Amino acid sequence: MQIRLRTVAPRAGEAVALPWAQGTPAPEAMAAAIAAAHFTGEAGTSLALFSPDAVILAGTGAAAAPLDFERAGGAAIAALGDASALVLDARGLQPAEAAAFAAGAMLRGAPPLAIRSVPAGKPAPRVELLTGDRPGTIPHWRAAEASARGTLFARDLVSEPANYLTPAIFATRLRSLEEHGITVKVIGPKRLRRRGFGALSAVGREAASGPRLVTLRWKGRLDARPIAFIGKGLCFDTGGISIKPAAGMEEMRADMAGAAACAGAMLALALRRSPAPAVAILAIAENSTGGDSYRPGDVLTTLSGRTVEVLDTDAEGRLVLADALHHARHHRPQAMIDLATLTGSIVTALGHHQAGLFSNDPPLAAALVAAGAAVGEPLWPMPIGVRHREDLNSDIADIKQCAPSGSGASGGRLMPDACHAAAFLREFVGGVAWAHLDIAGVEARAEADALGPKGASGFGVRLLDRLVAMRFEEER
Amino acid sequence: MADIAFTKPALPRHGALVLLLPEEGSGGTLHEAAIAATDGRLPKALEAAGFKGKKGQTATLWAPGGGLSKIVAIGLGKPGDITAENLESLGGTAWPLIAAERESVIAGEALTPEFAARIGSGLKLRSYRFDKYRTKEKEEDKPKAERIAIATADPAKAKAAFAPLAAIAEGIFLARDLVSEPPNVLFPAEMADRCKVLEKLGVVVEIMGPKEMKKLGFGALLGVAQGSVQEARMVVMKWMGAPKPAGRGKKEAKKPLCFVGKGVTFDTGGISIKPAGGMEEMKFDMAGAGTVIGLMAALAGRKAKADVIGLVGLVENMPSGNAQRPGDVVTSYSGQTIEVINTDAEGRLVLADVLWYAQEKYDPAFMVDLATLTGAIIVALGHEHAGMFANDEALAEKLEAAGKATGELVWRMPLGDAYDKQIKSDIADMKNVGGRPGGSITAAQFIQRFVNGKPWAHLDIAGTAWAYKDVPLIPKGASAYGVRLLDRLVADHYED
Repeated sequence: MQIRLRTVAPRAGEAVALPWAQGTPAPEAMAAAIAAAHFTGEAGTSLALFSPDAVILAGTGAAAAPLDFERAGGAAIAALGDASALVLDARGLQPAEAAAFAAGAMLRGAPPLAIRSVPAGKPAPRVELLTGDRPGTIPHWRAAEASARGTLFARDLVSEPANYLTPAIFATRLRSLEEHGITVKVIGPKRLRRRGFGALSAVGREAASGPRLVTLRWKGRLDARPIAFIGKGLCFDTGGISIKPAAGMEEMRADMAGAAACAGAMLALALRRSPAPAVAILAIAENSTGGDSYRPGDVLTTLSGRTVEVLDTDAEGRLVLADALHHARHHRPQAMIDLATLTGSIVTALGHHQAGLFSNDPPLAAALVAAGAAVGEPLWPMPIGVRHREDLNSDIADIKQCAPSGSGASGGRLMPDACHAAAFLREFVGGVAWAHLDIAGVEARAEADALGPKGASGFGVRLLDRLVAMRFEEER
Repeated sequence: MADIAFTKPALPRHGALVLLLPEEGSGGTLHEAAIAATDGRLPKALEAAGFKGKKGQTATLWAPGGGLSKIVAIGLGKPGDITAENLESLGGTAWPLIAAERESVIAGEALTPEFAARIGSGLKLRSYRFDKYRTKEKEEDKPKAERIAIATADPAKAKAAFAPLAAIAEGIFLARDLVSEPPNVLFPAEMADRCKVLEKLGVVVEIMGPKEMKKLGFGALLGVAQGSVQEARMVVMKWMGAPKPAGRGKKEAKKPLCFVGKGVTFDTGGISIKPAGGMEEMKFDMAGAGTVIGLMAALAGRKAKADVIGLVGLVENMPSGNAQRPGDVVTSYSGQTIEVINTDAEGRLVLADVLWYAQEKYDPAFMVDLATLTGAIIVALGHEHAGMFANDEALAEKLEAAGKATGELVWRMPLGDAYDKQIKSDIADMKNVGGRPGGSITAAQFIQRFVNGKPWAHLDIAGTAWAYKDVPLIPKGASAYGVRLLDRLVADHYED
């Protein structure tokens, strides 16, 4: 989906989206309709009028934060119905607001990936951003569009079924980022094994398409150590020998959403030519069940040299991240942020409305919370307690991968697995400032909202892009 | 329970000597005396045992000489480790090491009167036992400690500092007793009766039965209770300890503080019955109420200068021919209607009526409720932190600080409209569950609908009410989590 900038006023018959701030006087021609429909202009709501002209009023709320303009743009395109074109009339907005308005339309309007023999539904509408200040708008739009494009890239990857997106194909898809100036390096199954990626190799070895470690580098301009994104990229997760129940297992094609978000964020940085150097380390594998699967009870030697006792082969995400986090340290990052659809526990804890944030660095955590709030991808801080780490003490290895089920309180049914996973990951970050985003529960939308259609959300792309813009782009 | 006394440092001639030793520097006069009494063998023996004085490290020397049965060394750690909180904890560490000795002396260079008092508090808290149902326990398995003397330069000052801590400990013991009692012994009426012990401390205790509550319109609470042959109770406990303004026309008395507890004396889940495994733990589904009762005892026992009202809703949740069903709609005291989707989400129904009553009747400065409310909070946080939900930033911050100071930790959890939507009902004002995702949060959203906008915090203590293993201040079993936390909250901010 492309959005073009234009300065020519709408012609008769063109559908126009008009932002309207809550509490401001209604445009005279529409006042009666607005009153009749009880439309308030709340951010993320819209009202479609077809007479005298085709106008979609898009509420920008009262406070009108940048996010409100995005939601207004999203609500506008959601109300477009069967019309095939829309003019976003941003002539009354500041350039940054106009860009946000258009970005929202792109995030909500881009059709989700579908694989059909006969195209169903309609193609993406032709959308134009009408502005009175084209030169002033261009830089803002370039940044906003980059972030949206990165999000759409991530969404498409997440939507792809596991027979389409195997680890090998995922790596190939990521190669396409080279055209944007990103360096792509892939380590295949054999070299992973030889180089001691014991955890990633074990998780991925049974699948027909073996594991990959993909490194994406964006050089930036600043003479600074990079920020590192680390992503869990499980193209499919059967659970392995600790196999998952059948119901809902199809959702496990999205178990690579963390890696997809990291890749999308890299694309966003490249598209907007961010000055900040960044690196993404993506641990890609398929967790299959078969004669060569790793087993509960196995002890793995990770890349760091630390040994890990496996208790549950379905807690594989933390294993591949352990190797990826350790590997990321070779890049001497200023900070490491990992994203992973890691635990069901975080869904029980926080539901589908925000992701869990664990960190060893309060300033980094605060910056992430602020970035998430700014882009509508909220994070909630969660603890790593002393007990969480103690629960992972192993009799046979340096650490257990998760706390055993079947003992402890309530027969072991209730475990703070998200906290345990975070305590486990922390062991592999050394002294680096680190944050872990458990994005299970937010990687997809159950229903469309103002910022996206139903399906893969691309959660994390805009958040990471914003974090870099807020915190890592200043000359030191 | 052993008598805890404070004395000037003097080497005992029998029994146990506990030495609190730092990683570096002097262990104090009794350390020197003990070295002399052991003919200089003590330092070598500690070295042989690998004892370096690290915080919480222990070493025991049997029959070391000087008539002593043993010397126990406990590490104080580095100078920065020597805090009141840590010393209280070390007092707890000391107890199992000296419980079998009739007499013990505890000494250390660091023991200011305040620190000595905290050691005493830790000893007392750890010494708790619930053994009334053991009829055949062997003598040698019982603790024999009769007197523990803590050596400090100013015993009178230490004794004065210990008095309020001992009162708090008594409140904790009351709460632990209530939580430990089996559910056939402790049913709502019995639990309400036991609140009357607070009258001796100057607490006014009011008990309401089903008739009064029905008249008021407690439809939510009584719906939970209706399946059991045991009648429901609500108990209101008032401690009006704030200094009354002198003379007429002075400023009005401050608003009281309200603490509200969930008291489900046993929770089968009702018609939405729980699985059998682990159901016996549901005897402690009244721990929120137990904590509130214990807190009232603590505050009254130490004569807290604050007006505090504790309210507990006591019910038993049983399946029966007369039990509430999934699908029932009940009308709460607030007038709001509730569709009961799951009869095992009963705690919030009890709290709904008691909280509405509390805010309406007492117009409190704030309300804090405690409840073993959701399994989801254990999946979220585990057993180290209680989940805290609040509609008031200042109150939340005070609770966080009190948690850090007492080791009864809280972790803030979110509230928000998106979660509130999960409890929309098609037939009533709300339903009592919002699904697995964010299960503790939707429970808190439900409760928030019954606080009428008043400053409020909700503590989900399902993971912290019971200690599954010994920790320094809690022997395995009922923890009475929340008594020290809330006592500290009151002491630090509401008594002046």
